[in-house]
Amino acid sequence: MASRLTWPQTGRPLRISIGHVPLSLFIPQEELQKRALKRYQEFAAESNVSLPVFLRAKNSVRRGRGEFSYVLDDASLELGASIAEFHGVRHEYALDSLLRILLTAVLLPRHGFLLHAASVVRDGRAYIFAGRSGAGKSTVASLSPAGSVLTDEISLLRHSDGRWQAFGTPFWGEFRAAGMNRHFPIAGIYFLTQDRHDRFEPLSTKQILRALLPCVLFFSSDRLANEALLCTLLDLIERVPAYRLHFRRSSDFWRVIAA
Amino acid sequence: MTTCPMRNPQLAWREIDGEIVIISPEDSQVHELNETAALVWKLADGAQTVEEIAAEIAAEFDVSSESAQRDVAELITQLAERQLLTDVVGAKA
Repeated sequence: MASRLTWPQTGRPLRISIGHVPLSLFIPQEELQKRALKRYQEFAAESNVSLPVFLRAKNSVRRGRGEFSYVLDDASLELGASIAEFHGVRHEYALDSLLRILLTAVLLPRHGFLLHAASVVRDGRAYIFAGRSGAGKSTVASLSPAGSVLTDEISLLRHSDGRWQAFGTPFWGEFRAAGMNRHFPIAGIYFLTQDRHDRFEPLSTKQILRALLPCVLFFSSDRLANEALLCTLLDLIERVPAYRLHFRRSSDFWRVIAA
Repeated sequence: MTTCPMRNPQLAWREIDGEIVIISPEDSQVHELNETAALVWKLADGAQTVEEIAAEIAAEFDVSSESAQRDVAELITQLAERQLLTDVVGAKA
């Protein structure tokens, strides 16, 4: 479907890449551009085939013009076939939120998605600790060695180069770090449950799906998008082991996982 | 006027370990259907009436027509309440 979004004349974009998704952010507001540069500097990347994302001051989105649109408070986004527009973005937090939503739509046909999860690297593989707010993601991250945390809040999982991999994102929680622009093959997914003992239990496909879905960032009600998401999640479940991790608020859970 | 139940076309579903599993990402819900509900779900194509679905259930599970009608009506109500089924009115004369 051809995009009917227009292509404005603007200055040099901020080029970034998150999860191997190259984006060119055209930000007309100088102050916001500076803040974005600082926020996403770790993810700066040059690419000739990036998706252009134009920030416009006026919120004038008419739903249905593009392939995907979403309204978030005073701001909104519209995604066309080869261009995206953000409207009404006044600060970096709104930019951050719209970037997450945009990525969920762009990643879906590329066998990827965003997950409420911390990702920690150990021996060259990523361990994914998933859970909603308060489950212990930041606790797990804080109990892991310095420099090993890809993200403490929003993980990007994508089937890439023949295997499922976890990518660092600039979307952080309590750590408030800049993020780590690296990716690693996924060792396993652990759904966090705080308990008095450290142990983990394997889960069935249905149990994993039930645990996984509430942690997935997803903003579409479209039938094809729902179908694509289910395909992607079932592929992940088939290829990557997943467990329920009962853990105390101590680093001892690593001994259980490593055993 | 005839009512024919139809699967909510927005939802994605699979048969996993012998059960129908339906996902509704918009509200993060995963629905699992037992054997009877799964058959009702599969038969709810927007073309078959409740009576026709009940006849299939009666034959499949070897129960009386009255019992099947009662169970299917109840199941369809439950599935509709969970927004898994919608009605197609007037699909058949």
